[in-house]
Amino acid sequence: MAVAAAAAALAAGPSPQRRAGLGPWFAVTPMLGWLALFVIVPTLMLLVISFCERDALGRIVYSFTLENYIRAFDWKWLKILGISVWYAFLTTAICLVLGYPVAYFIGRSSERVRGLLIMLVMIPFWTSFLIRTYAWISILSQEGLLNALLMTLNITSAPIGFLYTPFAVILGLVYNFLPFMILPIYTSVEKLDGSLIEAAYDLGARPARVFSKVVLPLTQPGIAAGILLVFVPAIAMFAITNLMGGGANPTIGEVIQNQFTRARNQPFGAALGVLLLAIFIFSLWLSSKFRRSEQE
Amino acid sequence: MTKHKTKLIAAACAGAMLLAGCGKKDETLKLFSWSEYVPQAVIDKFTEETGIKVSVENYSSNEEMLAKLLAGGGAYDLIQPSEYTVQAMIKEDLLQELDQAKIPNLKNLAPEFRNMPFDPNNKFSVPWLAGFVGVVYNAEVVPGPVVGYKDVFTDEHAGRIVILDDARETVSWGLATAGIPINNVSDENLATITPLLKDWLGKVKVFDSDSPKTAMSNGDTDIGIVWSGEGALLFAENPKFQWVMPVEGVHMFVDNLAIPKTSQNKDKAEAFINFILRPDISKMISDEFPYYNPNLEARALLSPEQLNNPASYPPGFDVTSAQLFTDLGEQASKVDELITTLKAQ
Repeated sequence: MAVAAAAAALAAGPSPQRRAGLGPWFAVTPMLGWLALFVIVPTLMLLVISFCERDALGRIVYSFTLENYIRAFDWKWLKILGISVWYAFLTTAICLVLGYPVAYFIGRSSERVRGLLIMLVMIPFWTSFLIRTYAWISILSQEGLLNALLMTLNITSAPIGFLYTPFAVILGLVYNFLPFMILPIYTSVEKLDGSLIEAAYDLGARPARVFSKVVLPLTQPGIAAGILLVFVPAIAMFAITNLMGGGANPTIGEVIQNQFTRARNQPFGAALGVLLLAIFIFSLWLSSKFRRSEQE
Repeated sequence: MTKHKTKLIAAACAGAMLLAGCGKKDETLKLFSWSEYVPQAVIDKFTEETGIKVSVENYSSNEEMLAKLLAGGGAYDLIQPSEYTVQAMIKEDLLQELDQAKIPNLKNLAPEFRNMPFDPNNKFSVPWLAGFVGVVYNAEVVPGPVVGYKDVFTDEHAGRIVILDDARETVSWGLATAGIPINNVSDENLATITPLLKDWLGKVKVFDSDSPKTAMSNGDTDIGIVWSGEGALLFAENPKFQWVMPVEGVHMFVDNLAIPKTSQNKDKAEAFINFILRPDISKMISDEFPYYNPNLEARALLSPEQLNNPASYPPGFDVTSAQLFTDLGEQASKVDELITTLKAQ
């Protein structure tokens, strides 16, 4: 929620500085209530639990300890966190490279085509991502559709193990998060003033220069929002990585999920969750600082 | 007119209060069960015969069930804990004692399931289904012979193995292979089996507890260690999927029905327990989930195919020789840490 809101603020670009009266405050009360109840309170609970102990059945014992954090900074957990960040980074980079041209194309096409194309980007969301992930499993598995196709066309002679590999994990992540990159960039491209591009050409700039000096800076808010919307949830994603990766390379999301279930160690899971939250806040701060320095 | 209106509103209010009052004494039986373990047809039939409505919530591990129950979220009337969880819950005084007079169908259970070590004389729990953990392999690809865990983790099978994504299980296979009783999960014993597990886990392609049969039937793996119900479904699909009871020692799990202390609907819960112990109902459960049915009368109704499935009813196997898990307590966290770290190596 908070990430989406921040990303929306980023995509909207700089807001005019104007003081609001009391009226708007009433209008945002439901939203503030929502944030308090479902963001602030749970986060505080997480913070409190992360300093607690637990008993043999996994019940939380409210006595102060730093043990969860000391344990969390062990190399073995940091390594898993590092792998998760690496997966998220790769996913974001691929989504950006694939998503930008698509978003640009959609944003520059005629209004009628535009609506249709955006619709096509959104359609997969009508189905649960779990079902779509299971669909990928039946496509990629050894006796699946892709291998059947490759062997029928005599491209390969033996089935290839696509599934349960890092490749499958990245594919699943990119597939799932690509629309989150396309949509905010599309919003920026749509607002792009065509006369600026024409002016750049008139002044003798080559296409590469027009792109780097005009188009890219003007769509930068969309890119920043897209990166945030893909990178942050991709770090914590556990369902896709588990299903497509065969669970062989645990990500930080899987580790945290395990603490709350099988490992019976909610306080440790909470401590890892707080660390992850700290990383998110840091990356938000970094991107807003980055944007501020751009504007100056 | 105005007066009439006021009366009407008052009546409506009273009605609403009455309804709210009724809501307090809940008539529905709240079943908190494993996902994919209770056939909808069984629940429908129970409601049809007794008029008692059943609401179902699912969990995917004993710990998840415990966490939700202890958090006091839903007032559950019936839960489905495995043997080691029953043991822990009895110890912590979280279960209600059953009134066996209300469960006459208990007589249908095989004698070896009437008096299990985790709950002698079924004071608190009644077995639902039992099962084993064993080796399944694709006989078209794996020449064999396969007799136990050590035949799974060979160099030839590296990258072609599926195992349960369950730290406790994995550790128990290591302990059994090292000749250590599977419930002796001390720090020293974990250290002893760490090199063995490290070697094993490096060769595993897929970790999956929910549906390990998928990786086998899709051809992504050739051999694995899975639940017997999954092995039975694979064998029924194609007899090339052979089932082996590990020579190192067989682990059996027993999932039970039990009534949490917090339940207000003990009578209805007991009625449900008695209902599922009826042979025809228990058969419906076996038809859908081919695990080992502890209900002797129900087993008499099963088809020869069902009874001859080597994973459901391993020929010549004495279930009293199988080992059961006992509760690990805080050591559960260590077991999870070991396996997670070995996976991430």
